[in-house]
Amino acid sequence: MRGMNGVGESLRESAVFNFAGAVTMVIDDSPFALELTAQAVLGFGIKVRHACSSAAEAIAVLRDHPVDLILVDCEMPGMSGYEFVRWLRRSGLEPNAFAPVIMTAAHVRRSKVSEARDCGANFLITKPFSASVLLERIVWVARDARPFLEVGDYFGPDRRFRSEPWEGLERRSEEIRKAEFEAQRRASIEL
Amino acid sequence: MTVITHNRRRSRLSTLIDQPGGVSAGVALAQAKANLAEMEGRSRAVIEEQVAALALLQPAASLEETARVLDQAYNHSSAVIDAAGPFELKDLCAAAANLCDLIDAAPEDKPFDWRIVTVHAQALRLLLTLPADAAEARTQVLASLKDVLKAKVPGIAGQSD
Repeated sequence: MRGMNGVGESLRESAVFNFAGAVTMVIDDSPFALELTAQAVLGFGIKVRHACSSAAEAIAVLRDHPVDLILVDCEMPGMSGYEFVRWLRRSGLEPNAFAPVIMTAAHVRRSKVSEARDCGANFLITKPFSASVLLERIVWVARDARPFLEVGDYFGPDRRFRSEPWEGLERRSEEIRKAEFEAQRRASIEL
Repeated sequence: MTVITHNRRRSRLSTLIDQPGGVSAGVALAQAKANLAEMEGRSRAVIEEQVAALALLQPAASLEETARVLDQAYNHSSAVIDAAGPFELKDLCAAAANLCDLIDAAPEDKPFDWRIVTVHAQALRLLLTLPADAAEARTQVLASLKDVLKAKVPGIAGQSD
């Protein structure tokens, strides 16, 4: 599917995607909010396999079942959505620790803004949101090619969305390896 | 600080999305809207329940109790946003979010001005009863709530405009 490479780009009506078979988990302590999310994603061809009313219930499922997409509410009694995502990323569960996670919130408390940024989710959607916003974000996280980083306490997708050219010395090992490979390739051609 | 980079493995979701078949975005959105439309009546009932529960809350008798009661008010307001969000009930969402902002910004070591909760509960009830075409009245209700936010939390109102 084309035309959905960046955050904020809207979907073309004719864009085709296939989410049938995606094992999806929705976690929300509000049964009505959970049903709203499930009905919206059902329209996209996503049947919710695991509907969980708490983080504890979700954790029990995740220990034994691989999941392809997780939608989790931020504010829940007991373990919050932020704490849940932080646990998931550090859980060591394969492949679930790297599963795409979209967080939803009716309101984000000011004291939780840094938690929302640092817990390791792929995206946070604040309500009210339309079905089209939800679909755009699901497609976006499916296309999300950011590497996962471990930096201090953080474990999750690279939080840098912009990729502006850097004028200084390259320090990223992946880029250095690429440059070395390219230099060797050129040298082999010259031989 | 040490940075460990885990090269991104393709998620199963990214593989599934390109499989043959599926639906177009236009069809998917039409289906989602149809599914949600069936829940609109229940959504209104949930909103009315939450607003009624908000209106029934009593101010805390002590500072220790204040946080607990304000959490309840915050949860009722959030539930209004949850239920109203998918149905373009933007005025209800804005009024509820205004109360969430006010509760969130309330200092923990001072008594909370309970009139704020009362006024928001009344405003939400009014927004529920106003006819759909009463745009000017809705705008006035929201503007008056925004004034409360500006007065109590200077600097925040402009951010949420």
